[in-house]
Amino acid sequence: MSNKIIWVIGYLMIALAGSSQQLSIKQQDSAFLSHPFKDNVQQLKKSISHSFKNFVGNDLSLFGTLSLNKQNINDNGVTAPVNYLYNTVNNNTFKPGYSGGFRIDGIYKEKHHYSLSLAVNSVHAGSNYNNKYTIAPFIEDFTHFKANNNYITISIAAHYKKLLPVNDMRKYKFYVVAGPSFDYKISKISNENLINGSGNRSFINGDLGGEFDNKGYYILYAHYKLGTNLFQSTVPVQLNRFEIGMSIKAKDLF
Amino acid sequence: MYQHKDFLKMKKLYSLLITSTIIIGLVACNKETATTQTEVMNSMLTNKNWYLDYSITGATTSTGVVTKSYVGQSTYFVTYLKDGTTRDSDGLTGTYTVELMDRQSQIHVQVKTSNGNSLEVVYNIISIGDAKLVLAKVTSSVAATQLYFTNK
Repeated sequence: MSNKIIWVIGYLMIALAGSSQQLSIKQQDSAFLSHPFKDNVQQLKKSISHSFKNFVGNDLSLFGTLSLNKQNINDNGVTAPVNYLYNTVNNNTFKPGYSGGFRIDGIYKEKHHYSLSLAVNSVHAGSNYNNKYTIAPFIEDFTHFKANNNYITISIAAHYKKLLPVNDMRKYKFYVVAGPSFDYKISKISNENLINGSGNRSFINGDLGGEFDNKGYYILYAHYKLGTNLFQSTVPVQLNRFEIGMSIKAKDLF
Repeated sequence: MYQHKDFLKMKKLYSLLITSTIIIGLVACNKETATTQTEVMNSMLTNKNWYLDYSITGATTSTGVVTKSYVGQSTYFVTYLKDGTTRDSDGLTGTYTVELMDRQSQIHVQVKTSNGNSLEVVYNIISIGDAKLVLAKVTSSVAATQLYFTNK
């Protein structure tokens, strides 16, 4: 039985190899015809590569981050008659999360340092509710909304890096970094978090931080991110995050 | 030539794979529907014994005092089951639905009385949570009865 399978696989591999070595009649005919779409794509590729010729360096690195997260929640817009006891849902502290991803570090016009990154983030956040409600004489101190405080996002970030004239800059580089980032929740949102149009998956953040480049071997960094909902929501959430992390060049790892 | 073509093909496939993964991730999202609110309320209401802590009938007096009944007794309870049936500690059974009528959330209860007659009782949901429930019995009379339940 196993011999038969090996023979069949072998035959298929030979057939595929044979067929891919020579052009078919259709492919030969196609070579003499004009291809407006293909030509446009080629032109676009050339144009893009021309536009990006000033972006040099572009070292690919992998990074890991530990974070502390807290979200401020304003549930004023929820009209559904639901209650969550304030003391059981409110937790005005920072809670730990983590993330990982890759980033590209380069220089624009041999002058401006930048980094672009893509990450997957596990956010575990403390929740601070701005409002308390009461229905006298029945219920005191409750909220209309219970925010999800454990979720996963994918994020992209574009940071400008300003090299600081500190120490020996040929060996150790210190940067101040700033720029926007965008988070999109990919984990499931519960019905409780969708009620009255409160669901919102997208965050836009402003990032500020510092980075230390040790001779190009690795980069240590600390960032603060202040995020808010990208689209209008009945429950606006403000997300505060402190991150510390390390990135190492992919070519040094593999 | 063969290796180069294969490389290009592989590159295209990887791009396609990554793009489709991202698109599926972005598209596969859940949104609010017409039943979201009633589903949330049902999940909070069902499979618990709701004990009546007290009830209030009528408006607050001129001195700001409300008259509470059944205070501290906590002997009467009602249970709403996931299969849409309900029963209370007095032995009454029936069915119920949670509905949204003109933005007012309500519980519609159909019960059989001891003499076999059907009776519909409607409660406005004033507030519902995992531990506390406030209902107002809808009646034709002026004074509505507000009921405060907790589960233990």
